[in-house]
Amino acid sequence: MNKVIISVLGQDRPGILAAVTKILLERDGNVENVSQTILQNQFVGIFIVSVPDHIKTDALKDELNLSVKHLDLDIHVKQLVYDETYYPPVKSEPFIITTKGLDRKGLVAGITATVAYYGVNVTNLQAIFKGGDNPGDNIMIYEVDIPVDIDQQELEDALRTQAQSLGLTISIWHRNIFKAINRI
Amino acid sequence: MLSDKEILATLEMVQNENLDVRAVTMGVSLFDCVSDQIDLFTENIYRKITELANDLVPVCNRIGTKYGIPIVNKRIAVSPIGVVGAPFNPEQMVAIAQTMNRAARDVEVDFIGGFSALVEKGSAKGDLALIDAIPDALTETERVCASVNVASTRAGINMDAVLKMGQTIKKAAELTADSDGLACAKLCVFANIPQNSPFMAGAYHGIGVADAVINVGVSGPGVVKKALDRSLASNSDLDLGHLSEIIKKTSYKVTRVGELIGREVAETLNIRFGVVDLSLAPTPNVGDSVGEIFQSLGLLSIGVPGTTAALAMLNDAVKKGGAFASSNVGGLSGAFVPVSEDLNIGQAAEDGYLTLEKLEAITCVCSVGLDMVAIPGDTSAECLAGIMADEMAIGVINKKTTATRLIPVPGKKAGEKAFFGGLLGGSVIMPVNNGKGANLFVRRGGLIPAPIQSLMN
Repeated sequence: MNKVIISVLGQDRPGILAAVTKILLERDGNVENVSQTILQNQFVGIFIVSVPDHIKTDALKDELNLSVKHLDLDIHVKQLVYDETYYPPVKSEPFIITTKGLDRKGLVAGITATVAYYGVNVTNLQAIFKGGDNPGDNIMIYEVDIPVDIDQQELEDALRTQAQSLGLTISIWHRNIFKAINRI
Repeated sequence: MLSDKEILATLEMVQNENLDVRAVTMGVSLFDCVSDQIDLFTENIYRKITELANDLVPVCNRIGTKYGIPIVNKRIAVSPIGVVGAPFNPEQMVAIAQTMNRAARDVEVDFIGGFSALVEKGSAKGDLALIDAIPDALTETERVCASVNVASTRAGINMDAVLKMGQTIKKAAELTADSDGLACAKLCVFANIPQNSPFMAGAYHGIGVADAVINVGVSGPGVVKKALDRSLASNSDLDLGHLSEIIKKTSYKVTRVGELIGREVAETLNIRFGVVDLSLAPTPNVGDSVGEIFQSLGLLSIGVPGTTAALAMLNDAVKKGGAFASSNVGGLSGAFVPVSEDLNIGQAAEDGYLTLEKLEAITCVCSVGLDMVAIPGDTSAECLAGIMADEMAIGVINKKTTATRLIPVPGKKAGEKAFFGGLLGGSVIMPVNNGKGANLFVRRGGLIPAPIQSLMN
């Protein structure tokens, strides 16, 4: 069996999952993992699917796009490879960075540029923008893995400087405090 | 993956509701420092305290930053000096206090407790020397805290010690008359003193405890108040059963913070983790007050009729939530009502809602007692002893810890203000009603026997 990764993007409506998985079932594919979310009115789903060896990714992509044409979806299919040279596993600690401040261009770009420079991986990003003039109403939450062998103080200082230049207040706290308070 | 609600609620608790770890207190046994040579003894205790606690403050600061939770106070508690310093006279006891003070200063902790004696059944030579030394010791040092346990449910009340403590408090107040009797703010008189409380001034390192431990005192009255306010804003008809449930859940969260941080400090310092003390401890800051919780519950002010019931509910809910959150609960565990350290409680005293008598009544159901209560400077030692005997009786009969931290402010009368500074705050001086005249009862001395443990009515 081959593994492929499929992304589905488009206006949310009933029937997207049904249409996509129907084709996969007909091609003898097995859905192993799915993650989907809806952002404003846009659906996005990522599927990891095992398919028989004779299925070609390009052909599957064309077939899927054709079959869901009436739903106006954008579907991509890619061979799944596990290659650790892309991002070798490093020992890291999970932290949560939050920023608060008025919405403007470049907030995510600024913060992520700094974390990327230090080899910090963002595992989840949520932006809660309510708009308006209250800085507390615009919050971004970055869940990150900070490698243990980098200079944490230097990273924190760099993030604080970056945040200040973007008019943000920032907190950089270990994930366990959020877990301890909220989970049994 | 954490939900955004979980993350935002945590941010809110820390940034806007004063969630913090109030104290990380390192308990240090001094039994292996014992000597009958004062120089050798003080050298031994200085070395042991500073070696063990050398990294306490930097480690606490680092871990506090890592989790975003400030550890407000870093402290040390040692074995009761009345026991480990038994061979010494009062002057030498003062020298020991000065050594403790120097050790505390050198490792940069703000208070060191354990200048203590346990005399519930009688006073040994060392205990008497220590008590005699308390006024000078607390006057000549800034960081040393003293406590004397004069009663317990198993031993009864040592009334000789109670009267002696009345005289000691008077003397300590007089020696620090220029700072409103500040020495008395560092002196607690206890019934059923816990061996492992991280909170000053009553912290000491118990006798049946490991060589060194890390105890944690959590706080969070502001968090409890805001949780109640939020729930009541969305449903103003919530009954007390629901409100108690909210307090319980909030207490769980607050305690988990203490547990997480305490364990990591202990692990980093390679010292055994002791207990989490689940106390709602206020500071003299707006939004960090136990008194404000009473108003959220619907009382006009702490002190009005209904206060004792409200505090009983609050205290019980705090214990239930906290006991589930940590396997190692100890210390005082409950709500503190220190008059001068809580802006709202201080105001209630000033406005006349809270009297000494009502304060005594509510200590039947809360964790400590008459805490940081400024009273007129002309209150006699006998009268002080009478107030303390009453408070001790509440603890002894109800099998709970009670304590007094009374400050007879020299030269000042009821209604005037006393200022102690910092976390100790300041407050109006509360009147002591019917306190004049001789008190033969407290002068009779002896031991009030331990109470019967059946026929509980």
